[in-house]
Amino acid sequence: MSEAQRTPFVESLLEAAAQAQLPGSGIGWLDAARRENLDAFEAGGLPDSRMEAWKYTALRALGQRRFAAGDAQASARAVEMDGFALPGIEGPSLVFVNGVFRSELCRLDNLPAGLSLQPLSQALQGNAEPLRFALSRHYREGGDVFARLNAALAGDGVVLRVAAGAKVAQPVRLLFIGAPAGEAMASHVRQIIELGEGAELALIEQHVAAGVHQNLATQVTDIVLRQGAVLRHVTLQDASEGSTLVRHDSVQLDGEAHAAMYALELGGSLVRHDLHVVLAGDKSRLDTRGVFALRGRQHVDTQMSIRHEALNTASESVWRGVADERSRGVFRGAIVVAEGADGSDASLSSKNLLLSGQAEIDTKPELEIYADEVKAAHGATVGQLDERSLFYLRSRGIPLAEARAMLTAAFCRAVFEALPEDGLRDYINERLMAQLPSA
Amino acid sequence: MTTAHDDTKNTMTTETTVRSDLSATTLRDNVEVAEALGRRYEAGFVTDIETEYLPAGLSEDIVRQLSALKKEPEWMTEWRLKAYRHWLTMPTPDWAKLKLTPIDYQSISYYAAPKSGPKSLDEVDPKLLETYDKLGVPLHERAKLAGVAVDAVFDSVSVGTTFRKELAEAGVIFCSMSEAIREHAELVQKYLGSVVPVGDNFFAALNSAVFSDGSFVFIPKGVRCPMELSTYFRINAINTGQFERTLIVCEDDAYVSYLEGCTAPMRDENQLHAAVVELVALERAQIKYSTVQNWYPGDENGVGGIYNFVTKRGDCRGNDSKISWTQVETGSAITWKYPSCVLRGDRSVGEFYSVALTHHRQQADTGTKMIHIGKGTKSKIVSKGISAGRSSNSYRGLVKVEKGAEGARNYTQCDSLLIGKKCGAHTFPYMEVKNPTAIVEHEATTSKISDDQLFYCRSRGIGEEDAVSMIVDGFCKQVFRELPMEFAVEAKKLLEVSLEGAVG
Repeated sequence: MSEAQRTPFVESLLEAAAQAQLPGSGIGWLDAARRENLDAFEAGGLPDSRMEAWKYTALRALGQRRFAAGDAQASARAVEMDGFALPGIEGPSLVFVNGVFRSELCRLDNLPAGLSLQPLSQALQGNAEPLRFALSRHYREGGDVFARLNAALAGDGVVLRVAAGAKVAQPVRLLFIGAPAGEAMASHVRQIIELGEGAELALIEQHVAAGVHQNLATQVTDIVLRQGAVLRHVTLQDASEGSTLVRHDSVQLDGEAHAAMYALELGGSLVRHDLHVVLAGDKSRLDTRGVFALRGRQHVDTQMSIRHEALNTASESVWRGVADERSRGVFRGAIVVAEGADGSDASLSSKNLLLSGQAEIDTKPELEIYADEVKAAHGATVGQLDERSLFYLRSRGIPLAEARAMLTAAFCRAVFEALPEDGLRDYINERLMAQLPSA
Repeated sequence: MTTAHDDTKNTMTTETTVRSDLSATTLRDNVEVAEALGRRYEAGFVTDIETEYLPAGLSEDIVRQLSALKKEPEWMTEWRLKAYRHWLTMPTPDWAKLKLTPIDYQSISYYAAPKSGPKSLDEVDPKLLETYDKLGVPLHERAKLAGVAVDAVFDSVSVGTTFRKELAEAGVIFCSMSEAIREHAELVQKYLGSVVPVGDNFFAALNSAVFSDGSFVFIPKGVRCPMELSTYFRINAINTGQFERTLIVCEDDAYVSYLEGCTAPMRDENQLHAAVVELVALERAQIKYSTVQNWYPGDENGVGGIYNFVTKRGDCRGNDSKISWTQVETGSAITWKYPSCVLRGDRSVGEFYSVALTHHRQQADTGTKMIHIGKGTKSKIVSKGISAGRSSNSYRGLVKVEKGAEGARNYTQCDSLLIGKKCGAHTFPYMEVKNPTAIVEHEATTSKISDDQLFYCRSRGIGEEDAVSMIVDGFCKQVFRELPMEFAVEAKKLLEVSLEGAVG
């Protein structure tokens, strides 16, 4: 990219990189990886819609915006925590405000046996070698522009490990608070999560807003589940109106590991979530559940790819989308069954409700199959509420608007029914009801 | 070249004997014979006819020469040149899931015609007629029996159109594109490029610049075409490409059913076939377009074969019009096409029924686009993909509902069948919906022939190959049902031949 083509977005982030003082600088391999990714970001810039991965999400407007290099007051900014509490979730937690770790807001005392939980900045002060594999990644795909940016600029994040055999009883909570900081700023968070053999963990990741802001947040997460590990990962995305949030998750499942990934997308103005899962070990299993409920001018784009690479692996994905007013929901769910991955059983369903004439839904389920002993199916629909169900409710005396609200909520709620945490489920339902068009 | 032709016959007979001597068990035991059983391409002979070529290469001069050779009016030459200039500015598309050797557009001859220019069907070189005879094209006398009017395209020129008189009485115009440009200039000028503009895509632009011939069909108001129309395409000459252009216009309340078949000789290099088909349906008009595509697929190692890169699009311009595509794709080294419907008229209907079979190292990236613009428009997509050997078979489709398409409805079903461990079957459906009253549904499954089904057939004394062929036939039934009768028979036979040696 020549100087002339450099967008204000790229310029502002390069400036941020020039003045950034990142933890861990001085570690040779980390400096090199940050440099490489920054160079790639500089060379590639933002992709346009000709790139398949960004076909439905235009970044032109973002390209014209500038973001300040972080929030200098983040470590002192007063935050009202009560509003973010989750009923019944009292376990260990890590809290970040505008990407900066806030130890006084965390709950880190009496960590259960086998759980190690610390901010990345701290982890880098000790022996950084165990982080080397994850942090030396070079994002070569042109579409991974925000992952490059994150790899170059992430100053903090989460390092979470569960020792082999440890079963963590209480859900661990990761809270990311975006707060207005005067001008729009960018923050970058990196997460490294590993569950040892047979370990079990429930993880709740929350993106919330302490006031309205136009910040940009990027997040890159690597999750590895060793043999027989079990993870339940719930993301509640309730970011500020006006904000931009880009998440990039890579998940690897070894033999007999089981991951259940839930996502609820409610907030943000421009939200992109890449979820790449590799079923690398025999008999590993993945369940993904997701809902986006959008209104206003929200644009939420979920790009999921699931690779079955081993024998007798299974994946089941259920996604629901609701788009109202002038919003746009984008979903891509790709399932790849690699050569030799016999016994794979994959299914995906993407159902969507389009509630307004100004809204749009683009969905693309994909199957790429290179093995023959497989069962693979996907289904996708875009439509409205079932007329007969509406009629039934009205015949029972329920007004039309209320009947619509009930059915829309039920359409989304079904996705989270399998969640064992009652309090969490109630909270999700409440948030959904608040977001969806009401009676 | 009669010798070459005899050779083909000989191999064909040997093949039949070998096949009848084999039971499924010996087939597995004897790898060599099984290989010998590999698919045969029965249309792979070359007809030795003196051929007139344009020199290989592409330039403005060649485009002008081609246009002059065809005695085209000035506006047509200009149209071609415009397309050519636009083509020069376009990059080669690479987004499909295909592995292809880059095409050298300068090594292709853009025009090849049998030298003894035919003036009427009776003057057509008997050897040529023999070729079509062998292919089973009901040309000439055979046409009457079959009741199908045929326009046959041999390399670049149209060699004869049957049943002209009967059609003329009904008011139907069915002739070669070259003739239409000369004699029905107004109609051609009005509709040519109106569905697929010259710059639509790389291969359509190339076709617009160098298309050599094709069929033109015009069904006037209120006419139901009295018989099924058909075109047979054959690539014969070496180092040529075939670029035909078909335009079908159905005026208000008119109806036509059109069939298209294709073959080519076996050659070691890849030959390009880049056609454009445009359909226009006005108020309440209906067009049914069926294709059985059996271009030479290359040998089992992927050497040779046709690159079939075709742009097909139908425009439902009138209210209550309907366009239906049915395709059976068994041939070509690479098939890359998306017969589409633009549903502009209110309550217009688009349909797409497809069977795509790939074997050995064949590749197919095919599907459809349904663009819903008018109110109450409906579309239905049924796609059946069968992959065997080391082939790759992708369905790629787009269903787009624009803001104004109140009450639009789409149903899509894509099923893939895998035969063997080395093949791939892929599904890439795009759904873009901008109207809240629309209902769009997509379903897809991928599986192999179930052991239970096979076992059931075998236990009833049905051989493994026959059982597979029965199951595949059942898998495709939904699409075959849409084909005109004689085509359905041919398609079924083609599938059987194509799948030979796929099991065991």
